[in-house]
Amino acid sequence: MQSVRFSAPKLAAGIGLGALLAATAAFELQAQTPPPPAWKQGMPPSMADSKLAPHASPMTVTPLDKIQLSKLKVPAGFKVEVWAHGMPGARMMARGDKGTLFIGTRVIGKVYAVTDKDGKREHKVIAEGLQQPNGIAFKSGNLYVIAIDKALRFDGIEDKLDAPQPTDISEAIKLPPSTHHNWKFAAIGPDNKLYISIGSPCNVCEINTGMHGLIRRQNLDGSNIEIVARGVRNSVGFDWHPQTKELWFTDNGRDWAGDAGPEEELNRVAANNVGGFFGFPYCHANGIPDPDIKRPNACAGVTLPAATLGPHAAALGMRFYTGNMFPAAEYKNNAIIARRGSWNRTKKFGYDVVLAKINGAKATITPFMTGFLDPQTDAFWGRPVDVMQMPDGAMLVSDEQNGAIYRVSYTGKVASQ
Amino acid sequence: MLDCMRRRRLQAFALAIAAALSAAPTSLARAAEVPQERLQLCGTCHGENGNSKMEKMPSLAGQPELFLTNQLILFRERLRKSEAMEPFAKGLTDAEILALAAHYAKLTPEPSPEPVDQALAARGAELARKMFCGSCHLPDYVGREQMPRLARQRIDYTIESLIAYRAGTRYGVDTSMNGVMYEVSDQDIRALAHFLATVR
Repeated sequence: MQSVRFSAPKLAAGIGLGALLAATAAFELQAQTPPPPAWKQGMPPSMADSKLAPHASPMTVTPLDKIQLSKLKVPAGFKVEVWAHGMPGARMMARGDKGTLFIGTRVIGKVYAVTDKDGKREHKVIAEGLQQPNGIAFKSGNLYVIAIDKALRFDGIEDKLDAPQPTDISEAIKLPPSTHHNWKFAAIGPDNKLYISIGSPCNVCEINTGMHGLIRRQNLDGSNIEIVARGVRNSVGFDWHPQTKELWFTDNGRDWAGDAGPEEELNRVAANNVGGFFGFPYCHANGIPDPDIKRPNACAGVTLPAATLGPHAAALGMRFYTGNMFPAAEYKNNAIIARRGSWNRTKKFGYDVVLAKINGAKATITPFMTGFLDPQTDAFWGRPVDVMQMPDGAMLVSDEQNGAIYRVSYTGKVASQ
Repeated sequence: MLDCMRRRRLQAFALAIAAALSAAPTSLARAAEVPQERLQLCGTCHGENGNSKMEKMPSLAGQPELFLTNQLILFRERLRKSEAMEPFAKGLTDAEILALAAHYAKLTPEPSPEPVDQALAARGAELARKMFCGSCHLPDYVGREQMPRLARQRIDYTIESLIAYRAGTRYGVDTSMNGVMYEVSDQDIRALAHFLATVR
């Protein structure tokens, strides 16, 4: 294990300070070729004319009748319904002890709270104007919201949904001052520590491994920061195996290295590998050396993934299934993973939810919920970002594109056509 | 920057109109069309056909619908800060925003009346090519989806926007433009703006 130090950050490439420097000093600077934007770094000259660009999710409300529920496909015996909607940009989910579902967002800067009364869901905005409050975690009555530049704690939030009173805990939590890939995933582990992922501030580049490209944990008061996984490009989802209590996480592969990948990863932090190195930026997926950022023996000492999760698929939120509703042989103690879908690929890929069947240190991936993408027309209408198990064993799936939450349940009955 | 007096005048004007609008007994919940009084209001600064004649006020004509929608929401949520726009964007419903975006996206962009420095514009053309502006904003700079039209935009507005992206005081729906503008000089920003204003 290694402590995180913030004293000597290698920040030259960080957008936050970079922009500040640029603002104060650029007037006198000689004209020079500027670096490409972070998401475009590493693009080979052969792709310079590529029109691929990230898809922006709508920030407006999608009316219920525009949600194409009938297109969704789940395995026989399962059914999908719209559980809540009207929350633009809905992404990461955390559930309160009293049943409130909290939902984080990125660009629209809001945190939603959904309450369930007599089978009807209502939502409130409990925070707004934040810079990408994607990190959402709940413990002992308190909600933790981790934005890019701020960490807030809402004590006793479920009794104060109409008058939330956040405490700014940014100073204690110590967030690094960069923007790109710095929206956080957050969760509280079985060790009662706050885990946060901090992405690399680029598509692919050398990074300060003590600050970026990692998953870290700390006590809930912010003390004792430890790195749990290094060499992680950008993880936006993790959970703990119900039996081994080991951390498993998704990680997004680099862009601009072709349609084939390198693929996204599902990784396992074995009990004896806490603080281990997962390869970024030198070694990707099942041992592919990076074509741009090179070192001798690129994959030496790298923990390779338990499974790859497809090229540019954007595998994000994941949870292990521990409920009793879904057929146990297939689902119990296996992971369900949302794939938001590709942008850096000529033919779209992902836009679905998959099942990762865990077998020791490895996993195999099968489809679970599809139909957001039409492979014939290459058009998509939804983008699943996170999954969350409910007390009855049903799974919720968030759809950022439509600001909706779906409920997937198992009835055992095959619907007649 | 707006000078102080102009800013204050504009603010007073904006507040008065916004108050009048919110008092108006209009039902806009699912407005497919934007009411005339609102269009007149927007047109005061952005030009009645969406082509601005006012210093540092952007032209909206022909901008991609998603870009307009996103920017109005960023103003409404105070994630894009503008004293001039704040009173207008405050309280707009999604339906009102979608209708405004649809309206301005359909209008025809006209060249800005500002004088163009042709030598600067020629240098800007070269820079725009080197900086791959066209890979997102398209080779004819008409924009698409969340990425704005740059062609025929006002020079003074483009300069102000690019400086704001460079300084990190403005974000898009992501931080791409902050990365693009990292360490770009004032002179290069001027060249880009003069070039983009001349693109047909």
